[in-house]
Amino acid sequence: MITAPTIEYFALAPLLIIFGAAIIGVLVEAFAPRYLRRAVHVPLTLLSLVGAFALVILQTVRGVPTTPAAMGSVAVDGPTLFIWGTILVLSFVSVLLINDEEQFVPSAAAVPGSAEEEKAITEGAAHTEVYPLALFAIGGMLLFPASNDLLIMFVALEVMSLPLYLLCGLARRRRLLSQEASVKYFLLGAFSSAFFLYGTALLYGFAGTVDLLGIRERLAVGGGGTETLLLVGTAMLGVGLLFKIGAAPFQAWKPDVYQGAPTPITALMASGTLVAAFGAVLRVFWVALGNDSWNWEPIMWGVAALTMVAGSILAITQTDIKRMLAYSSIAHAGFLLVGVMAVGERGQNALALSGLLFYLVTYGITTVGAFAIVTLVRDPGGEAWHLSRWAGLGKRSPKLAGLFAFFLLAFAGIPLTSGFFGKYAVFRSAVALGEAWLTGLVVLAVVASAAAAFFYVRVIVLMFFSDPSADGPTVVTPSWATSTVVGFSAFATVALGVFPQPVLDLAEKAAKSLFVQ
Amino acid sequence: MTTHYLVLSALLFAIGGIGVLVRRNAIVVFMCVELMLNACNLAFVTFARQNGNIDGQVIAFFVMIVAAAEVVIGLAIIVTIFRTRRSASVDDASLLKY
Amino acid sequence: MELYAPILVLAVLGAGFAVFSVSIAPFTGPKRWNRAKLDAYECGIDPTPQPIGGGRFPLKYMITAMLFIVFDIEIIFLYPWAVAFDKLGVFGLVEMVLFIVTVLVAYAYVWRRRGLDWD
Repeated sequence: MITAPTIEYFALAPLLIIFGAAIIGVLVEAFAPRYLRRAVHVPLTLLSLVGAFALVILQTVRGVPTTPAAMGSVAVDGPTLFIWGTILVLSFVSVLLINDEEQFVPSAAAVPGSAEEEKAITEGAAHTEVYPLALFAIGGMLLFPASNDLLIMFVALEVMSLPLYLLCGLARRRRLLSQEASVKYFLLGAFSSAFFLYGTALLYGFAGTVDLLGIRERLAVGGGGTETLLLVGTAMLGVGLLFKIGAAPFQAWKPDVYQGAPTPITALMASGTLVAAFGAVLRVFWVALGNDSWNWEPIMWGVAALTMVAGSILAITQTDIKRMLAYSSIAHAGFLLVGVMAVGERGQNALALSGLLFYLVTYGITTVGAFAIVTLVRDPGGEAWHLSRWAGLGKRSPKLAGLFAFFLLAFAGIPLTSGFFGKYAVFRSAVALGEAWLTGLVVLAVVASAAAAFFYVRVIVLMFFSDPSADGPTVVTPSWATSTVVGFSAFATVALGVFPQPVLDLAEKAAKSLFVQ
Repeated sequence: MTTHYLVLSALLFAIGGIGVLVRRNAIVVFMCVELMLNACNLAFVTFARQNGNIDGQVIAFFVMIVAAAEVVIGLAIIVTIFRTRRSASVDDASLLKY
Repeated sequence: MELYAPILVLAVLGAGFAVFSVSIAPFTGPKRWNRAKLDAYECGIDPTPQPIGGGRFPLKYMITAMLFIVFDIEIIFLYPWAVAFDKLGVFGLVEMVLFIVTVLVAYAYVWRRRGLDWD
């Protein structure tokens, strides 16, 4: 018997607002004249993000639902609402960076350096499609960690990734690098999502459903001769998810894509996508495969160890600022994975989850700030990426270099920055479990953090203690939007480092109810 | 007997996966990814039969749509880079490294 | 097995018709000589000697094909609804209308941005 499904529209309202605004954005592209488009897109995009954020707060105030919405396929629970809020804030500041029209190519289809491109530039053409594309990607990011069903999760993964593949190829300068980043991201991303999908198929074969709660129940029952399906399915699903967070050995795309993509898009990917992907990792491994943790934890241990070591060590050899930040992001993904393994009793899970949520907030905000500063240091041919160009920047524009140094110290996790409490909260939860194998990993993570601190400090030394070259890069006067982003990130990084309690409390409250199970 | 279908799907997936790793033309690499997605579809439909519910068949629909969207975006990106470089070989895309 | 019998019959009938039409045509059709008839059929463009490696087609072909694929495949979601639309009632109708409107938005974008014009 087929009955019409029911949908909790209020619970899904933030998603609907974002996707609705994206569709309106497409209509604007279709019908508004060229000179009006940007003027409509920017307020539309920002307002929809604010509206969605307001709805998230309203839902939090009115009480978090305890059952999944939309026939059990989307779980709007405490952690989801916290992650949604985080992603919306990070997207808002990233969109402010995207607003800088200097960053995007006037005509992506034109061959770089051709007469066609010259014509597009003189005509003042612009790809204002960037805004709806970003909104679609943000909508996917919201749906990804909230999906309570592997099919929805796959669709969300693609809705998040497909616009990002395109956005990566739209950098105004260094077109070849940008296009190459786009192709690499696309081919590797499609490859990994095929793994995700085959893992889903095998788990469907194992459990007879793709519902995360259904898989959990099937695992609780146990027995049957299909454990191979479970193990291989888990592994393949894991490959797809770990690729998205950039964990080793699936990290190779990250430096290339972060370097080639337009810097505002890199900021969006490095903050929003990472938060969303970690939400999804947590949901799959805690909710669906929580009863099977002894099977996936050893592998995850190895992946986490490899990721933090690879990220920290390879970062030292980098000479490009964006690649260095990418490797730093890989190392941070490794640190975050420590928290994913700190599962145990209910209270322990809440502790680990709140630590992870707090870490994601602090890391996301600092990342956006760091990339915002990268957009300001420019050579005649575009942004100055090479580290040698940053030498002596502290003497020429001390304020900017000081802020960048501060963000780097936050990445390193120095006390009095938000990064310290983020790391502390995650590592504390892992140690609290009292298992030797996990405590050992925490020790490794601390050592890796120290190694990572080395290259952050190296950049700071380079900026402040070496002489600026005569033809050094120019520091452009930031637009109001970029100044807002940098100011907000710096303020949040200080505030969360000195006075983290309110956000920690919020994360604890969000984590207390855990994921809907 | 559904085992044969599962074996076929695993084989197709493996062929696609190996193709992605060894082929050098971006278009061919991409076709191999599509082959992997189709292998997934076969597995879904087979498991739907085996489990006695139609979830797998519905999922196959979604996968087809997603695959079509992916084709459109992927070919657009590959064609753009081909027009720039006159080559679709993934070996030539080597400006970004280290 | 008997389930497959109609399919077999249909296949035989189809093949028979094809073979019959092709073999009877030379005897019954008019034979007027025309140069265009001897050309290779190339989707409407003049066949020219191809360079080594196959040569290239205008991008327009790809764009048209891509648009066709995307809009064509969206129709797939109408099938499950068509099977159960009476049971899904108003809810199904509203959702389907919303879905088609979303596809139409994409169509409007393609149309307004001259994606459907050949030149």
